[in-house]
Amino acid sequence: MSRAVIAVLALLLLAVLPDVAHACPVCFDARDENRQAFLATTVFLTLLPLGMVAGAGLWLRKRARDVDAESESDPSDA
Amino acid sequence: MSIGFAAYPTDRRPEPVRRAPLVSNGVLGMLVFIFTEVMFFAGLISAHSIVKSQVAGQLWPPYGQPRLPVEETALNTLALVVSGLVLVLAWFAFRREPNGARIPLLLAILLGAVFVGFQGAEWLALLGEGLTMQSSTYGGFFYLIVGSHAVHAVAALGGLLWAFRRLDLGELTASQLATVSAFWYFVVLVWPVLYVKVYL
Repeated sequence: MSRAVIAVLALLLLAVLPDVAHACPVCFDARDENRQAFLATTVFLTLLPLGMVAGAGLWLRKRARDVDAESESDPSDA
Repeated sequence: MSIGFAAYPTDRRPEPVRRAPLVSNGVLGMLVFIFTEVMFFAGLISAHSIVKSQVAGQLWPPYGQPRLPVEETALNTLALVVSGLVLVLAWFAFRREPNGARIPLLLAILLGAVFVGFQGAEWLALLGEGLTMQSSTYGGFFYLIVGSHAVHAVAALGGLLWAFRRLDLGELTASQLATVSAFWYFVVLVWPVLYVKVYL
């Protein structure tokens, strides 16, 4: 058997593998509520840390502006 | 031969601008800690949501498991939220006159203690009715999520008591009060989310 035939057979074998692999936890439960829960929690856990970092950044920027405004209005502090 | 900063004599170098810190070290450390705790509770809530969605027929709580005291806990939630609001008043009172924070801080601690005490009594009643960690995933999630919050509430109450003690001794600083208050605000703000997810 030539190498080309073996390679083609290997590729075909790889092509049928996903039919039996339950790699994704969402795929094996067909219930809509379950899929929606996975989707919602994925979005929630993805956006939450980004939102917290963005919120902290905005708050620190506001604090920096407030501190600068205070030091400009009261030069003795500088 | 020396290579240095001959072109910029030290006496002509501009003084570095020293700006006041935007936030104290204590508050910054507490905020980082709170971020990690928010993600911890987010993970618990997510796991709870997914397990709940997998229950056949959406029967939640499962058949044969006791129902949680929704109305009583709503009142307890109110006590916790009020304690957070009173702590805000304590902060403003402290900024005006440190001793003025004594009563609102004590009131916030008492309301927090009422919350923790009621939660403890509720646990005892539910254990008596057969809801345990092993009785079902419902019981497991209830004790895991509410118990985790209770541990945080007790720790935050300890922080507030420590602050009250230092206030009594005249040694409490604004940074210390802000640090322990931030932790209590976290305990207060995360609870309504847990209440809605676990109790309703």
